Amino acid sequence: MVTVGIPRALLYYQYYPMWKVFLEKLGAEVVVSPPTNKSILNSGVTRGVQDTCLPVKVFFGHIIALVGKCDLMFVPAVTSLGKKSYNCSKLIGLPNMARALIPESPPLLAPEINCEKGRYNLYRNIYAVGRYFTSNPFKLKKAVEEGWASNLDYWNKMSDEKITPLQAIDGKLSTDVNASSFTVALIGHPYIIYDEYVSHRLISRLQKMEVKVVTPEMVSQEELDAATRRLVGVPHWLFEPEIIGAGGYYLETGVDGIIIVAAFGCGPDSMMLSIVEHRARESEIPLLPLSLDEHSSEGGLVTRLEAFLDMVKRRKRVCV
Amino acid sequence: MRVGFPHFGNVYIPVKAMTRRLGAADGEVIIPPPITQRTLDLGVKYSPQEACLPYKLTLGSLIEACELGADTLIQARGTGICRLGYYAKGQEQMLQDLGYNAHFLTLDVSHNKFISIMRLIRDMSNNIPWREIIPAFFFGIGKLFALDKIEKVVQKVRAVEVEKGTASRIYREAINAVDEATESKEVKEITKEYIHKVIQVPKDPVADPLKVGIVGEIYVVIEPFANMDIEVELGKLGIEVERTMTLSRWIKYSLFLNYLGVDEWREVHKLAGPYIDHDIGGDGWESVGEKVLYAHEGFDGVIHLAPFTCMPEIVAENIMTSTKEDIPVLAVTCDEQQSKQGMLTHLEAFVDLIGFRRRKREHGRRV
Repeated sequence: MVTVGIPRALLYYQYYPMWKVFLEKLGAEVVVSPPTNKSILNSGVTRGVQDTCLPVKVFFGHIIALVGKCDLMFVPAVTSLGKKSYNCSKLIGLPNMARALIPESPPLLAPEINCEKGRYNLYRNIYAVGRYFTSNPFKLKKAVEEGWASNLDYWNKMSDEKITPLQAIDGKLSTDVNASSFTVALIGHPYIIYDEYVSHRLISRLQKMEVKVVTPEMVSQEELDAATRRLVGVPHWLFEPEIIGAGGYYLETGVDGIIIVAAFGCGPDSMMLSIVEHRARESEIPLLPLSLDEHSSEGGLVTRLEAFLDMVKRRKRVCV
Repeated sequence: MRVGFPHFGNVYIPVKAMTRRLGAADGEVIIPPPITQRTLDLGVKYSPQEACLPYKLTLGSLIEACELGADTLIQARGTGICRLGYYAKGQEQMLQDLGYNAHFLTLDVSHNKFISIMRLIRDMSNNIPWREIIPAFFFGIGKLFALDKIEKVVQKVRAVEVEKGTASRIYREAINAVDEATESKEVKEITKEYIHKVIQVPKDPVADPLKVGIVGEIYVVIEPFANMDIEVELGKLGIEVERTMTLSRWIKYSLFLNYLGVDEWREVHKLAGPYIDHDIGGDGWESVGEKVLYAHEGFDGVIHLAPFTCMPEIVAENIMTSTKEDIPVLAVTCDEQQSKQGMLTHLEAFVDLIGFRRRKREHGRRV
């Protein structure tokens, strides 16, 4: 039986259920790298050039952690999933960077998912992946359909039950948040806010401080898209709904504060966050931008969080 | 309507030529002042902190145009992967916050470029008939072609001239002369005259300069302020520079020949094939391919220019470090924090390195 490794980074948090079902239906065994830890981060940081952003460096670390544990590595290049909306260059060039920087890695299963190039191209790329496991196109078709269905379930589950991907994938139970008196929206890419090592356990830290945390994944896709359209019009990037859309949605529905988490040097975020910040200034909702890189210290983060939450609390007392 | 646009290399010359040819009234087209430290400071002050250098410089340039009274601004737009698609959105909002009520006209640089440019000209031209617009357009871009032709020669001569700075001075004179010219014939004569002048510059007869190729993101490669005149500095160090990316080449292929199915990057993309086989936005794919190309052509080194946090160029840089072609690459990151002295130190070290390598190759040992 072929084992396929899936790095627990980047798009893992959005598409893992689909990849898992798809690969398992094709008869492969799926191995996921362990949650990010110090050695994974360090091994990744030493590979890429210094300007590379933190999540990509972490991704390299996860690939290195999987070397020797699997026969194939699943690293899709998700270029475009809709009309004229693309992913970040680094995600498109991910398999190419991984091949160049981690020569010891097992062969990469790297289909290019580009809906701009049309249906035929997409089918051909998926078929090229399936050929590693089966030559039966019907089996492949079934695997794709079941994979997609499981991912839709996963997304619906998150938005219906208001849970995070970590809870949905691993079944982790959330801490009790009923006692919380105010709500803070945490906006950011899923691979930053749900990676507990990278984000310094931001979510559980906030929950411990008796804050109800809401994240982009807890809003349904349609509402995110609608909020994006209201704020900027036609999205330019694939992940625009999860940043601008979620930011706009929570600003409209009214939260007590917004925390935006971005990796240092993230190109798309630098543009998108300024739009959310602008909107927050108009609606007078406090906003805390946090920038994370491999040097960010936990102490500094906690200090800023506490100061921000104190401000939000006082503001609420005064306003009510 | 008072039209303003951001500076980008010599783009202002064809714009000026066209407006003069079409008889625009004074002040209808506003040429912002050349990019200076003030432009950069303005851009940095009003941009998101991690925006890339081209964003900051174009914003600074647009603010300066607005200060001169522009009410319609031109900015590029692309549906591509890089931040370019967001420039107009972000800058329009920022200019509104600053109190300039400017209207943006966008120029699509990723699809239907020719139609997009023509539409832009028509929107601004007050019903001037096409039979006047088209010759004016060709006259304008003819000036760009002339300048790029002269610059190609200048790049070669800079490395070997006896008195450093002569060729650059002549090039500056050539820019002014071409800018002043009013007839296509005159432009051609000026080109011939200045190329002749540059060739006549006294040169070191025994010099065999090291050759370096410049690759990278198009704005920082072409705009001398953004890359701190790196070509002139390399010339002072006695290095011959070659760069494929020029405005005239972009115009020639993107506006005309691409429609006929000629792909100027086909060869470069093929060479990049083993490392990256699909577009990653911006000029990242081309950068990787050009590195391989320069290695095959026997260049001594490659200088990779990229704005800080440029996504496609970071991918390219990551891949370039581990291609099997053996050629040194110096990555120069351009942003507002850069200092000329720091860059010069890097360049000197790099030049020493490629000099050693060449001597080692020629003599079989390190001399």
